[in-house]
Amino acid sequence: MEFLLSKYNYWLYTLIMMIGLYGMLAKNNLVKKIISMGIFQTGIIVFYVSIGAKSGGTIPIIEHTQGGTHGIINPANYVNPLPHVLMLTAIVVSVGTLGVALALALRLYTEYNTLHEDEIIERINQGEGLSDD
Amino acid sequence: MIWQFDLPILTLIVICGAFAILVKDLLGSAIIFGAYSFLMCLLWTEMGAVDVAFTEAAVGAGVSTVLFFAAVHRTSREVRSRKSGRKLYKGLGLLASGILGGILFYASGDFPGWADPASPAATHLSPHFITRTIAETSVPNIVTSVLADYRGFDTMFETAVVFTAGLAVLILLRIGGCRTAGPVWQTAAAIRPAYGDSIIRFVTRQLTPFIQLFALYVVAHGHHSPGGGFQGGVILGASFILLAISYDLNMAMNRINEKAALLLANSGLLLYAGIGLLCLLLGANFLDYSILQRILPGVDGVAARSHAMLGVEIGVAVTVMAIVMLIYNNLVSNGTYEKGL
Repeated sequence: MEFLLSKYNYWLYTLIMMIGLYGMLAKNNLVKKIISMGIFQTGIIVFYVSIGAKSGGTIPIIEHTQGGTHGIINPANYVNPLPHVLMLTAIVVSVGTLGVALALALRLYTEYNTLHEDEIIERINQGEGLSDD
Repeated sequence: MIWQFDLPILTLIVICGAFAILVKDLLGSAIIFGAYSFLMCLLWTEMGAVDVAFTEAAVGAGVSTVLFFAAVHRTSREVRSRKSGRKLYKGLGLLASGILGGILFYASGDFPGWADPASPAATHLSPHFITRTIAETSVPNIVTSVLADYRGFDTMFETAVVFTAGLAVLILLRIGGCRTAGPVWQTAAAIRPAYGDSIIRFVTRQLTPFIQLFALYVVAHGHHSPGGGFQGGVILGASFILLAISYDLNMAMNRINEKAALLLANSGLLLYAGIGLLCLLLGANFLDYSILQRILPGVDGVAARSHAMLGVEIGVAVTVMAIVMLIYNNLVSNGTYEKGL
């Protein structure tokens, strides 16, 4: 039971990553692929954030008063802030990559009039779209 | 860390993730993905990662969902199901995710127990940040001080990545695109009568200044509470996206047009790099803020760090706001800026 409680969350994060990877490889629709990429990303991010968790730790903001008296700060009382910083920026970058991915999908849709991978490949092989100019 | 709270949320997240890729409708898929992000944000709050949860609520559950809507609106929402021909890909996908899962399940045996205060991650570098942040930077929110000061380089280039993503969207849709106008999904604008959503418009108009004020508070108060440049910037951008959705794209473009947005995106990044360069010119290392006490009147080195962090956060917020707006405007109009959602 002790072992189960200290590990179950890693297994569930792995499950999230597996769902994302399967979607990226197996799905035919480009937007579905992009959503799967988002799921894979959050799987990794949640794994990193969970490394920072500490039982008995509070949020990483030092308790402070107006006068600025703080006393002695014990690191065991605060969760590890470093993974939070790394993942915070990763989330913001993920919205950038999402924008670029959707823009690419939109461009493909304007050229080939479909979001489905197999139809796009079919039409490229037939010489439609971008190749004619 | 309360597992009775944690386990149901994680289970819901896995279910949402699975359904987001199984549903046969892209709009439904995007909504389920939004719910997935929101549950994720609850999970992070429970783990004490308040800044991450705040960012996810603004970015993942908010702006990402709107971007999916914009893209689906410009293309088609149906997912065609073909019975045969995808067997190979499905098999490969199952195989690859099976291998990944197998390796990670096997490796999880070597991980330190969850939320173990004696784990390597909690004992080596982070105690320095936790114990020294007040003495070295006078900023109580450790996430802000690590983000803008201890790891300032990292954050500067992350901002540059966001900026580059905005430029890439511009090149793909605005400059490279618009050769053939794609068919527009005709429901929203055509069916909706002009007077039908006056309540939404009124509420949006009244709410926007408060949203923007809140965003400025998030930027300015990031030193003492969850928040900072990234979150505030996204909320600012979202307020303009809200205007663009409830009225039309022109309404938002009249407030901040493409030229102004690009100028803002540039100047935010330049402000960040400029503060770093100023430190260099004064004789310290790049982004070593304490030297700024020479030009800021009446502050010591520690307070100078705190003030310079605010400047850096403002730069980040301005860039992120402009880029989020640019990405939305281009996606929703396929680069033409003619008609919004």
